[in-house]
Amino acid sequence: MQSAGISFLESLVSEFSPGTSTGMGLPKDYHEQCHSSMELNYLKEFYCWAKSAALNVADKIVSCYANISEEKVCSRALRFMFQVLNWNFKSSPSALDNSSSKSNSGSFGIRPDMGLLKKFERSLLEPGPLWHDALLSSGHMLWLLNFYAIVRQKHSSDMLWFDSPLAVSARQLIVQLCSLTGTIFPSDDGEMHIKHLTQILSAVIEWVEPPNIISGALRSGRSESEMIDGFHALLSMATLTSTMLFDNLLRSLRPFGTIHLLATLTCEVVQTYVIKNDDEQTWSSEALDIMLEIWTVILGRSGNDMKISAEGISSASNLFSTIVESHLKAAAESAFEDDSEADYFHVSVSRRDETLYAYALIARAAVETTVPFLTRLFSERFALLSQNNERMDPTQTLEELYWLLLITGHVLTDSGEGETVLVPEAIQDGFSGVTEELQHPVIVLSWSIISFAKQSLDPKMRNAYFSPRLMEAVIWFLARWVDTYLMPIDAAKGQLGISGHDEGLQQHPQSSKKVLLSFAGQHSQGETILDTIIRISMTTLTSYPGENELQALTCWKLLVVLVRRRHVCIHLVALESWRDLARAFANERTLFSLNARLQRSLAETLVCAASSFKDLETSNQYVRDLMGPMTAYLVDISSRNDLKAVAQQADAIYMVSCLLERLRGASRATQPRTQKSIFEMGCAVMNSLLTLLELYKNQSAVVYLILKFVVDFVEGEVAFLSAKETSILVNFCLQLLRIYSSHNIGKISLSLSTSLQSEAQTEKYKDLRALLQLLTNICSKDLVDFSSFSNDAESTDIAEVIYVGLHIVTPLISLELLKYPKLSCDYFALISHLLEVYPEKVAQLNKEAFDHIVRTLDFGVCHQDVDIVDKCLRAVNALASYHYKEKIAGKEGLGAKALSSEESNGEFQQSILSYFLRLLIQLLLYQDFRMELAGSAADALFPLVLCEQDLYQRLVQEILEKQSNPAIKTRLASAFYALTSTNQLSSSLDRNNRFRFRKNLQVFLIEVSGFMRII
Amino acid sequence: MSDEEHHFESKADAGASKTYPQQAGTIRKNGYIVIKGRPCKVVEVSTSKTGKHGHAKCHFVGIDIFNAKKLEDIVPSSHNCDVPHVTRTDYQLIDISEDGFVSLLTENGNTKDDLRLPTDESLLAPIKDGFAEGKDLVVSVMCSMGEEQICALKDIGPK
Repeated sequence: MQSAGISFLESLVSEFSPGTSTGMGLPKDYHEQCHSSMELNYLKEFYCWAKSAALNVADKIVSCYANISEEKVCSRALRFMFQVLNWNFKSSPSALDNSSSKSNSGSFGIRPDMGLLKKFERSLLEPGPLWHDALLSSGHMLWLLNFYAIVRQKHSSDMLWFDSPLAVSARQLIVQLCSLTGTIFPSDDGEMHIKHLTQILSAVIEWVEPPNIISGALRSGRSESEMIDGFHALLSMATLTSTMLFDNLLRSLRPFGTIHLLATLTCEVVQTYVIKNDDEQTWSSEALDIMLEIWTVILGRSGNDMKISAEGISSASNLFSTIVESHLKAAAESAFEDDSEADYFHVSVSRRDETLYAYALIARAAVETTVPFLTRLFSERFALLSQNNERMDPTQTLEELYWLLLITGHVLTDSGEGETVLVPEAIQDGFSGVTEELQHPVIVLSWSIISFAKQSLDPKMRNAYFSPRLMEAVIWFLARWVDTYLMPIDAAKGQLGISGHDEGLQQHPQSSKKVLLSFAGQHSQGETILDTIIRISMTTLTSYPGENELQALTCWKLLVVLVRRRHVCIHLVALESWRDLARAFANERTLFSLNARLQRSLAETLVCAASSFKDLETSNQYVRDLMGPMTAYLVDISSRNDLKAVAQQADAIYMVSCLLERLRGASRATQPRTQKSIFEMGCAVMNSLLTLLELYKNQSAVVYLILKFVVDFVEGEVAFLSAKETSILVNFCLQLLRIYSSHNIGKISLSLSTSLQSEAQTEKYKDLRALLQLLTNICSKDLVDFSSFSNDAESTDIAEVIYVGLHIVTPLISLELLKYPKLSCDYFALISHLLEVYPEKVAQLNKEAFDHIVRTLDFGVCHQDVDIVDKCLRAVNALASYHYKEKIAGKEGLGAKALSSEESNGEFQQSILSYFLRLLIQLLLYQDFRMELAGSAADALFPLVLCEQDLYQRLVQEILEKQSNPAIKTRLASAFYALTSTNQLSSSLDRNNRFRFRKNLQVFLIEVSGFMRII
Repeated sequence: MSDEEHHFESKADAGASKTYPQQAGTIRKNGYIVIKGRPCKVVEVSTSKTGKHGHAKCHFVGIDIFNAKKLEDIVPSSHNCDVPHVTRTDYQLIDISEDGFVSLLTENGNTKDDLRLPTDESLLAPIKDGFAEGKDLVVSVMCSMGEEQICALKDIGPK
């Protein structure tokens, strides 16, 4: 009976919760009313019913007299309570309260950290003050904790009990209550909240302590669910409290702090995790995840929120030793396994990096001990290799070194994707006593790794010890290290890296920081290190044939980092080793054995460095020396007499591809300083490219490379060109388009294999994308123009070019191809740009091309992608505005084109504009319209309404008549009236009017979506 | 550029060789490769290592460009693979004979009559239909390692 009642409540609550309700054809605002009335009037009552139901049977369960159905009632009641607490509470005024809770966080350690629990699909619980009596003041918490503890005690010998419904639901409820926060706690400086957390902790600690016994029990088959729940509770606490408070929570119960407990727990988990040979221990991976998340939460903060006691620091230090030692052991054991994860550095890399980052945070909490510890481990293994008399198999040591390089890289540096990398704060501020360069642990560690890496230059050492995998780690480490420590920015500016807050207060940290930042500086050993690194890179490129992974890391990570900062480049180009690299690239054959894509990246890097020369002419000469041989060679090939016979042979194709990739790389590196020489480079090969495009029309790979080179070339150059140069470029592009189009229009490829067929389709799609990008890039000439002088007589009409280009390209684009998201994005970007900037040109397009554009717009407006819809709406806006303005001026505007009636399906019976008007209104009213598009929808709708006043009125009438519910009908009518008649809207297309209409439509949509959206 | 001459080893009369050696590591997806004596288009390349600290090897999945069979091969990435010469030549289609041969017009005005129509219906239908409708058709003939097949077709007739 009770059980059925609870089931009923359960489904009731889930029906009222918007995420889980079933569709019943009622408007959205009705659902919302229900939601809030449920929350305000009934939810707490239901909770209390369930609570008393649980209480009723609890006594029996505790005294073992309960039968199965009573236990079931209890567990269901608890589960229902958990469900109620998962309710998405809306009434709690958390927004208002933010300010006061923030001030709390400073002084009392309670911090409302939203979103941090998201990783494990849990949310913070903020029911508001109304729930105070139900959850806090009535001793509910204490009852629940005691109840669980007693029942647990009774079943202590039963290993299966931990997974029983009663145990699971009770624990779930406890964990959920742990994340209780917000205004339910009175403003008493967080006292009540702290008490609440301590109370839960005192119970939860039984689930996870003592760690070694628990993990032993788990290994012998006990369910891990209780421990995992305990970890979740700790995570909630860590999220809600400052690091200091979190540590102190346990002190009233134990002689040590929470962090110490956490460290011991993590040790156990890591030790189990690295073994993980048998499949039964899968819990360790989940447990480690949560543990590391807790560490990231408490150590990833900055400033006052993250202060750790000395005890905490030493726990972190011990934990880190355990982590490193267990991983080294695991590494040594796994050294002989086959490398099954093929793309080790790419696929699983983000997950591994996340783990290593968390480890690194732990290490940084105790830098004073962990960095010397790493140095010691590294030197031991390094020494082992150098003493090795080639009799012992070094593989295990290599794998250990591999892992050490990874973890050291994470400890010493941040990944800094996309931002300027700084030396991590903990490392800058640590080591306060050190003033001598050679004593600074970070410097010692860095040197020992660099000198280790340097050994790879010796062919004998390289063959014996530097396996491709170890070299990958070396290159990866160097790339990160260079970015952080080599000639750091702070030092380059001649000042110290003062991060602001505590300058001048502490003298010692300053001096150690100074030592750290300057040892690899411009006036110190920076240049020597740079030289070594270039030589190492050369080695990986030439002495590891076919090792793509390693060479990719070298080209994409390490070399790119070297040229990223200008003051480093200045030193770079002066080095003999760099000139050797450039010379090898330009004149020797060796580097042609690299993968062609890597050659592109190498060209880009080498050209990039050119910008550091003081003198403009030197920069350009450097590029000429570098790329001259390439262009000469390409010209040479394309002017051979026996070209036709030779060109189709595989080696010729390979050479041409490599050269094209190199040219493309160079043009991607175009900068104002090198623009001139790159343009010369492009001009030199223009004719050759046209010849090659003709010749290789059936080698899709080469065609694509040619197109991509031109795309990048135009993108880099177009903004700088004078009128004359522009016309050269533009004429070339048009010729290119014509040749491409003549080869591809109407072509059908035939193949037995469906996968080859779809490959051919994909290639076509990639080509078209390149063509569209090319047109878009040419377009940008009209917007961004840095050319120094312009001579009107010679200037090319860009619009004319695009006009011709569009005629060539549009027939190649089918609606089928527009289903590729990237292609349609590029296509609509081009179309909307064209229509906005040159509507008159579009109006002049021939009928076929124009119809094609309109049809694609129709397709695009109904697209899923917000970006594409936005672009289409902008295009429609441009079209309609143009027509309206022309009409007012007494011209014909889109004229005859607007009246295309030959469409067989009857959709285009009326004018195109009225068609779009109908479509747009349909979209706004009946479909799942996204509010972020409201602005552009308003901009498109307004000129449409102005153009087609009569039709608009008719449409509104139609819509109103269809509505049967009189209440909704009146609301809709007044909404429509307000849309066009409030806010002093007038019938001109100026900015003010558009703005007013935007506002009106916003109001209209908010009003209408409440009752027109049916759920 | 004294090296330059060596870059380009093929001579016009080097037609005797049907393949060319290329380092496995530089062969990319969409390139060509010979697997088990058949010319293939590479549709998948993955790399792995022989043992953790061993050398890289490439795993190729190719599709035979003539009979569409899937073939696989594993090659140490520093070794050379055979890359087939694959050419495509365009001819205008003049006639389809009763016995399944096509008559093609070459660039220098001669006819080429030794090519059979494909037997597979999916390839055959577009050619026959197009020809029957009286369209001006250009066919691309793919040639590699001594085999030939029509691989594409294009309508060049006036609209």
